[in-house]
Amino acid sequence: MHADSRPDAADWRRALTRFVNVIPHTRELGLEVLEASPRLTRMRLPWHAELLGDSRRGLVHGGVLTMLLDTACGSAVLPALPAPEVCPTLDLRIDHFRPAVAGQDLLVEARVVRVTASVVFTEGRVWQSAEGEVARAVGNFVRLGSRNTPPAFAEALFAQEEDDHA
Amino acid sequence: MPEGIHGVEWLTRTRDAGDLSAWLELMPYARRIGVTTSPDPKGDGLLFRLDPRAGNVGNVMLPALHGGVVAAFMETAATLDLMLATREPRLPRIVDISIDYLRTARLVPTHARCSLLREGRRLANVTVSAWQKEEATPVATARLHFVLDDPEGGQA
Repeated sequence: MHADSRPDAADWRRALTRFVNVIPHTRELGLEVLEASPRLTRMRLPWHAELLGDSRRGLVHGGVLTMLLDTACGSAVLPALPAPEVCPTLDLRIDHFRPAVAGQDLLVEARVVRVTASVVFTEGRVWQSAEGEVARAVGNFVRLGSRNTPPAFAEALFAQEEDDHA
Repeated sequence: MPEGIHGVEWLTRTRDAGDLSAWLELMPYARRIGVTTSPDPKGDGLLFRLDPRAGNVGNVMLPALHGGVVAAFMETAATLDLMLATREPRLPRIVDISIDYLRTARLVPTHARCSLLREGRRLANVTVSAWQKEEATPVATARLHFVLDDPEGGQA
């Protein structure tokens, strides 16, 4: 990213990739950022047997979907703000339309619906290629403001790497 | 493993024995994040514990637990609590969860206790409170609905 321009979609995809790779839980699960912009954030959680919540019935743990939607909605907040701020989750509501099943990646997309002075309103959905949409989320995030955001936060998101020519 | 009568026998047997470790054995994600249970010293129910594992961190700056991991812990607690508390052996399947984050969850043990507010014929409503140092200052509260599948076959 050039200092005099706003980040584009490629910059944001790299920034959110760094963001989810710094989070130990999502790094260990191999969460991948597919697309990121102020409009939409998409991610992929690769299938792994440790995601199961019911081995007998071969169903993904509902909590995996909550974790995935919290991560995606929380990440989607960043490109939608004038400048990156730390935004903890205020609350989340997840609806499970049907169980996610073993053996398939989980795809998630999240978007910001509205930004106010104190809260960012988001929504998200999870699907599997063969199952279709399995869950949706409504998540609200608190804006802590630039005063409570360490300067290192934005710098870490947009740090230049050797192979990183924006 | 086949469903049907075999599943009913297994569920009834483990339920009668209060063998929650057999249930957790079938929940790989709950094991990965480090969920354990013990009898509640304050009553006849269950107490749940989330191990403060480095892999559960969601914010390295604070550091704090991943809010989604705390939610998965609370959903696991509600599911196991319900499997033990229903009038008949039932396999709960989550319909929805609503979770409020009240305080930062630090990298220390997290505890949870559940209340079954209603057990209908097909649906149940469970609330969960999760705390760290003091039960009076919870880090999160959640409300969940489950469909109660009949293990004899098919869905409720």
